[in-house]
Amino acid sequence: MRLVWTIAGAELRLMLRSRLALVGVVTLLLLSAIAAVTSAVQMAETAQARAQAQIETDEQFKAQPNRHPHRMVHYGTYALRPVGPLAAFDPGVDSFTGTVVFLEGHRQNSATFGAARESSDLLRFGQLTPAFVLQTLAPLLLIFLGFAGVARERERGSLRALAAHGASARSILGGKAMALGVVALLALAPALVALGWAAVRQPHEGGIALVIALAYAGYLAAWVLGIVAVSGIARTSQGALIALIAAWALIVVLVPRAAAGIAGVADPLPSRVDTELAIAADLRRIGDSHNANDPHFAAFKTKLLKQYGVTRTEDLPFNYRGALAQEGERITSQLFKDYAARADVIRQRQSGWLGWAGVLSPALSVRDASMVGAATDLTTHTAFMNAAEAYRFDLVQRLNGLQATAVSGTDDAARSKDPLADQRTRISADFWKTMPEFEFNAPSASARMTAMVPSLLLLGLWIALAFGVLGWAARRLERHGA
Amino acid sequence: MNNVIREMWMLGRNRASLAALVLLAVFAAAGVAIGLANVARDSAMIERMLAGQPAEEQAVAGFVEDAGYGAYYGFQPVWDPPSDLAFAALGNRDIAPAILRVRSLSLEAQLYENESANPELSLAGRFDLVFITIYIAPLVLIALLHDVWSGEREAGRLFMLSSLPGARRRLWAVRIAVRIAGVLAALLIPFAVGAILAGTALPRMLAFGGLIMLACLFWSVVILLVARRGASSVVNAATLASIWFALTLVVPAAANLAINASVPVPDGAELARENREFVHGAWDRPREQTMDAFLALYPQHAAGSALPPTFHYKWYFAFQHLGDLHVAEQSQAYRDGIAGRAAYARAAGWLLPPAGIAQAMTALAGTDVTAQLEFQQRIRAYHTRLREYYYDYLFSERPFDVSILANVPRFDPADDGDAGAD
Repeated sequence: MRLVWTIAGAELRLMLRSRLALVGVVTLLLLSAIAAVTSAVQMAETAQARAQAQIETDEQFKAQPNRHPHRMVHYGTYALRPVGPLAAFDPGVDSFTGTVVFLEGHRQNSATFGAARESSDLLRFGQLTPAFVLQTLAPLLLIFLGFAGVARERERGSLRALAAHGASARSILGGKAMALGVVALLALAPALVALGWAAVRQPHEGGIALVIALAYAGYLAAWVLGIVAVSGIARTSQGALIALIAAWALIVVLVPRAAAGIAGVADPLPSRVDTELAIAADLRRIGDSHNANDPHFAAFKTKLLKQYGVTRTEDLPFNYRGALAQEGERITSQLFKDYAARADVIRQRQSGWLGWAGVLSPALSVRDASMVGAATDLTTHTAFMNAAEAYRFDLVQRLNGLQATAVSGTDDAARSKDPLADQRTRISADFWKTMPEFEFNAPSASARMTAMVPSLLLLGLWIALAFGVLGWAARRLERHGA
Repeated sequence: MNNVIREMWMLGRNRASLAALVLLAVFAAAGVAIGLANVARDSAMIERMLAGQPAEEQAVAGFVEDAGYGAYYGFQPVWDPPSDLAFAALGNRDIAPAILRVRSLSLEAQLYENESANPELSLAGRFDLVFITIYIAPLVLIALLHDVWSGEREAGRLFMLSSLPGARRRLWAVRIAVRIAGVLAALLIPFAVGAILAGTALPRMLAFGGLIMLACLFWSVVILLVARRGASSVVNAATLASIWFALTLVVPAAANLAINASVPVPDGAELARENREFVHGAWDRPREQTMDAFLALYPQHAAGSALPPTFHYKWYFAFQHLGDLHVAEQSQAYRDGIAGRAAYARAAGWLLPPAGIAQAMTALAGTDVTAQLEFQQRIRAYHTRLREYYYDYLFSERPFDVSILANVPRFDPADDGDAGAD
């Protein structure tokens, strides 16, 4: 073991003397620091702006004057997706989804205004965030610093000298891995500080931040082991470098894109318009509120009249139009829910493809673990959309309920012809103040932790594989000597 | 000719080089295939929308009793068809919707809808020919060319080879040309097949092919300049990988950060809210105020502008349009912000040739940010035609007839649109 430390120490001293290595490390640390600071500033601004916008929206709703409740159904409100607790570390899909949903009656709108559509299209690869630095750039730095570790000794013939001093292949590779591991820890440092800072400010996120940090540590450990193994196997350092850069390009650049490209065409989503048209067709089949003789609404009316023992809707103890609006909204919302659930399943299957592609690319696994942990993944966005829809339905039904109970049926029927009746259908502005506000909480830390398990297992598999390859490289080195 | 055959044979005998070229060709073919599949999906999506439209219109015609009602329920499709090069450069088509249905209501509340895409698929970027050309092909070129001279020197053959008569022309030039040609073939053959399948116009096909060649030429020059300096193969490889890494990953990401920070884009959510406040506020404002403002824009409708004491769609559509005008400045600023960022990105493209070539590719394919903004302008122009068509009926008080609904102006994707009609 002492020999391992000695070899690691010698390798580190060599790196310290190498200008290239120093420049590489300093560049990465600088990028990492820039990423951490800008991302923290940007996400803090975004979080503040969205929270402020939500407050203003709620205030505007409550400040509306006396109105017919149905006007409020159309006035609607907005739900803004809050910024995830660890989004500064890994913004995930935040900029690729809309962030604001307009909530109104009869319609289900999409989330609009996302940063990606407002960005310059300068080689869309990744935003400079701490997560991007660790996933993409750090492995490359490790390759540059580690590819020659063993191969260089072999080329110079110094492997023999080491062996002559009693160094086993295991201790040589172990020492090299140890030295590279120190570099990896250094590369992790700024991002870990960013993560730690977020955890300090939100203590309940501390546990999950630790798991994310461990996931990245494991990811970089797999790279360290793999790099040393390749350096130990390759005949020349040139061969080691080329093989490692090819592996990096495949794992970090190619597989994630290819998997996403294939998932998108192999299991396509219906477009929004597809869904709109399908819902419109279903509505015409189930119950068309525009059609006076529609069987569903005729049955609905008969049932209500029977229930209250009256013969005319005018004799109902409430405003029939409000009840009708509630029934209409119930039907459309059920369809919105059904179609959204179907699209959610497709999206989950698509993301499932990416999960499986983690077998080919640990970069995908660590990205997934990181996004899930930071609550900036698809699941969190879907949860937000579903929460917004549930809130929309509740709000609209409350307003329709007000139309049924607080607006006189006679006035409501006459309002399009009689301006005075129209005036009377405007109910008190105080009602708007009683409406609940939209609130969305990201999935709990324990739920996210559970969702991280598959990706963490895949990462574990990769670490085991890397150990295996390193062991194989050691036996090979032992057998063939230097 | 013998020289070429010799170099091809040597390239073919080197298992690693051959594998790199074959893999590049496979990736390029996969990129083209995925691109074609994406374009086919987009086209099918547009077809389905247009095929579904008659049933929608028939249903609306079944219950509509006046032009205002018809305009309220009269959603019309607008779409941005994929160009004949979109398969090679998918660009922003995954984040900017290609189809939308609009009606005569305030457009600012309709224009920014998003497609129902899976954001996790957009996260990594597109897998298309641009990606293969800009990111992957340079790495293969580096692998094939970084040790043209240093490799021979390390094998102890450099002096011998260089002293052959005409070595420069007959050996090095041919060797380099054969390797570059291998990379070009791996990219251009799949592209040509894709272009034939997509029915790409020949001049556009040649232009795009030229951009692919330009990208390879740029990298070849960079690689040969580094390789000539006389350092060892391993130093060359490390230097070139660092250059690639800086030019395609780090500097663009940093430039993007700088551009987004220096060109602010107004908050879209605020724009939407402002629009809603004005539109819904109209219900509580004196109706004359709305009509006066509207008639100032449309004096030709003054004669028929008298309102009954109760609700009328004339007034309703008047305030819808005024709601768009109310945020016109913000909307313009929003657009200008995005266009401004794109302009800076183009400027950065001159300093970062790979980024510049990628932008030229998406611009040629009509899949860049500019194309996205132009589509929005076409929608604006069409929306103007659509609502003005209904104004004529609303303000003339002509008796309603369902043919009014059937004769609405239709969107034409080829129509340039009078940009800035609003």
